[in-house]
Amino acid sequence: MFVFCLIKKGDSMIQVKNITKEFVSAKKYPGLKGAIKGLFSREKVRKTAVDDISFDIAEGEIVGYIGSNGAGKSTTIKMMTGILRPTKGQCIVNGIDPSKNRLDNAQNIGVVFGQRTQLWWDLPLSESFTILKEIYNVSDEEYEERMNFLNEVLGLPDFFDQSVRTLSLGQRMRADLGAALLHNPKVLYLDEPTIGLDLVVKDKIRQAIKDINQKYKTTVILTTHDIGDIEELCNRIIIIDEGRKIYDGGLQELKDTYGKTRKVTMELRQVKEAEKINWTEKLGTTEDKYQVTTDEEKNQLTITFEKNEIQISDIIATIMEVTEVKDIQIQETELAEIVKEIYNHQFQSEEIAE
Amino acid sequence: MKKFFKTYLPFTGNEIKRNLAYKGAFYLFVFCSLFGSFISYYLWKAIYGSTDGGAIGGLTQNQMVIYVFMTYVTSSIVKVSISEEVSEDVVKGTVAMNLIKPIDYRFSLIFKGIGSSVYRFLMPGIFVWIGVELYSCLVLHEPFTGIVNLVLYLCSAMFSFFIYVLFDFCFGMIAFFTTYIFGLQMVKSAVLSFLTGELIPLSFFPAVFQKVFDFLPFSSMVYTPVMIYLGKYSGSELMFVLARQVIWIVILYALGSLIWKKVTKRLVVLGG
Amino acid sequence: MKNLKRYFRLYKVLIAQFIKVVLQSKVDFLMGLFGFFFTQVTGIAFLYLIFEQIPSLQGWTLDQLIFIYGFAQLPRGIDHLLTDNIWKVAWWKVVTGEFDQYMLRPMNVFFQVIAEKLQPDALGELLVGIILVIISIPKGILIIDGVHIALFFVSILAGALIYTSIKLFFATMSFWVKRSGPFLQVAYEMADFAKYPIEIYAKPIQFILTYVIPFGFVAYFSASYFLVEKSAFSTIGMECIIAVILWFIAYGYFNYGISKYESAGN
Repeated sequence: MFVFCLIKKGDSMIQVKNITKEFVSAKKYPGLKGAIKGLFSREKVRKTAVDDISFDIAEGEIVGYIGSNGAGKSTTIKMMTGILRPTKGQCIVNGIDPSKNRLDNAQNIGVVFGQRTQLWWDLPLSESFTILKEIYNVSDEEYEERMNFLNEVLGLPDFFDQSVRTLSLGQRMRADLGAALLHNPKVLYLDEPTIGLDLVVKDKIRQAIKDINQKYKTTVILTTHDIGDIEELCNRIIIIDEGRKIYDGGLQELKDTYGKTRKVTMELRQVKEAEKINWTEKLGTTEDKYQVTTDEEKNQLTITFEKNEIQISDIIATIMEVTEVKDIQIQETELAEIVKEIYNHQFQSEEIAE
Repeated sequence: MKKFFKTYLPFTGNEIKRNLAYKGAFYLFVFCSLFGSFISYYLWKAIYGSTDGGAIGGLTQNQMVIYVFMTYVTSSIVKVSISEEVSEDVVKGTVAMNLIKPIDYRFSLIFKGIGSSVYRFLMPGIFVWIGVELYSCLVLHEPFTGIVNLVLYLCSAMFSFFIYVLFDFCFGMIAFFTTYIFGLQMVKSAVLSFLTGELIPLSFFPAVFQKVFDFLPFSSMVYTPVMIYLGKYSGSELMFVLARQVIWIVILYALGSLIWKKVTKRLVVLGG
Repeated sequence: MKNLKRYFRLYKVLIAQFIKVVLQSKVDFLMGLFGFFFTQVTGIAFLYLIFEQIPSLQGWTLDQLIFIYGFAQLPRGIDHLLTDNIWKVAWWKVVTGEFDQYMLRPMNVFFQVIAEKLQPDALGELLVGIILVIISIPKGILIIDGVHIALFFVSILAGALIYTSIKLFFATMSFWVKRSGPFLQVAYEMADFAKYPIEIYAKPIQFILTYVIPFGFVAYFSASYFLVEKSAFSTIGMECIIAVILWFIAYGYFNYGISKYESAGN
């Protein structure tokens, strides 16, 4: 039915091959009547959370794994970390199949799940690190070396002796990140690492991730809803939707392909004059390449246009012929908008596939 | 009055729904919880087998069979624990939230409790009860329980329910004074299974103890309705035990209000 | 062997941190201890009340039953002390997805479950057990010689393993039903009834307590070895065999359950 491909250990740190995860649950009915009905029903609902996803990630890459809620992000991460077993397909992390050899895989990876801590809640932070040192069998020299580095990039000494429950969210996130990195993992999985943090702390966390990646060549996979994380950190992104991979490639590439349009907003002396312009003729183009809207109250005119078809200087020149321009604003399409449109199925899946 | 029920009845409905949602665990749970009563039934059978066959503790062997199973039915509909929820709310600090809402915290818990109780009455209560009646009639050749006893039993069991939840509310309030209510829950359930007559009929206790029990609310929780079911009370004695139940409802209600007032005052001062 | 040494070391480290937390709240600790102590006391009181009415229960005297009762507390208390965290798996670790944590660390999962917590409340049970066994010694009802004393300790350990296995088995069900707490509760409470001589029950119930949820071996069968002349094999020997078989079933089922783990959020 389906073919398992033999995966060789090569340059890839992570190889995900046709991975699929299905969940089976009992069917639920609404209301009190439904609850009684459910008592006697054996009907099952099958839900495919991850549907035949494949990708390769090389050592040292920082990959953003994004998608809307319930798209299957966490499920994929959980399969890669060995928490869940794939229904079909296989993944290999640093030459190890996590579902077959959980212990060895666990030694190779570090995990931070944004909303949950792996630290010992009632104890001082320092104790957590002592315990983790034992758990991951970190030698004294290694421990020293790592802690020096982590202290430097994460600023742990500020709160190293405080009990974990008293840490602020930002401190706790830094502590968790440190805890995940103590044993020098090959791969670091971050699930929403900056969720709920203020901008300053976000920056700190991002910088730390970059430093770690550079110094130890740690491969980083992160899921996030924060476009800032992606722009700052990732050289590659994978987008999934409804359990399927819909984009896999570079960040700039995504922007170039889908950020084709540009938006210029101008404040004019006489917007009524500008309304009379025949743009198609003046710009020597076709009607589907641009869109004009005006706001008479504010005397504003907005044109959205394809940047490789129409020159902005032509637009301004055309306007200047009829009225005076008081203010001008030019906007590139932002990544956030591209991603939003992808979630909203604005693009056809075939168009996006590599 | 109408508004009162309109406010609180949804708590009952939701609780029934919530109970129905646990489906897988359900069948086995019912089966196994009965299994415990069966073992206790055999234990008593052996105990009666070790005597000359007469009544002990004022109960014949046949009556003891009914006692064991009706105790099961009664305590399953009466002992709806709300103190866990109270202590959880205290620990999480959600009690303060409840002060803002225009509802009475205790009533909302009681109406939730009614939901659980109704649910347990339907499943498995009523089935076990039918089973007990059929068994006592067909196997033990005792007559069916009379309609009067039955009505009095239901009435008394309802009183018992209120005594229990009102008591349990007060008990849950302890969480305001200690964070570790689990140990106390253990003590509570041990004391209750003993003093309510669940473990052994109270008539087995020495006379002095029984005198003391008369002044405690526990015998009114399970023992009283079951003894009424067995037709052990009549005339003035019957009126007395029922009146005693009502008095306990009043006392525990007042006590609960008092503690609640104290506690909320403290809550406001400390800022929850 | 090296592995064993590492786990032993880890256990010390993990339990030490737990003890540090417990010591922060001594009152709580004492209350839990008292709670369990008191529960056992009501059990003894029950026996006394019964024996007010009857001279013996199917040939057993009150003294003998008290020994059986006390002896039964020892394996129960040991299991309770060491593996109480299994309850958390049954009640919420699986359904909330907290179980993820165990899957992410390079340690045996079962080991992580039990090394997370000690249950000091269990000392209440152990205390009652030890007291009742000690007061039984001068009553002259026990057979005391070298073999019996050695097997006494063997039996307690095997009994504890039976408890652990049964708990683990029912907790494992939560990988399918999400919250198997009620199942575990019912199975565990069954142990209470094995505190009495098993012959008093009807055949099917004897069968269940012997072969299905074999709490009979934890208390009654093995306790009777110390009270009346019986072959060591049919009592303590069987207990050990059952303990080992049960352990392999429960542990295998647990590992199979882990492979079906679905985590939370779906």
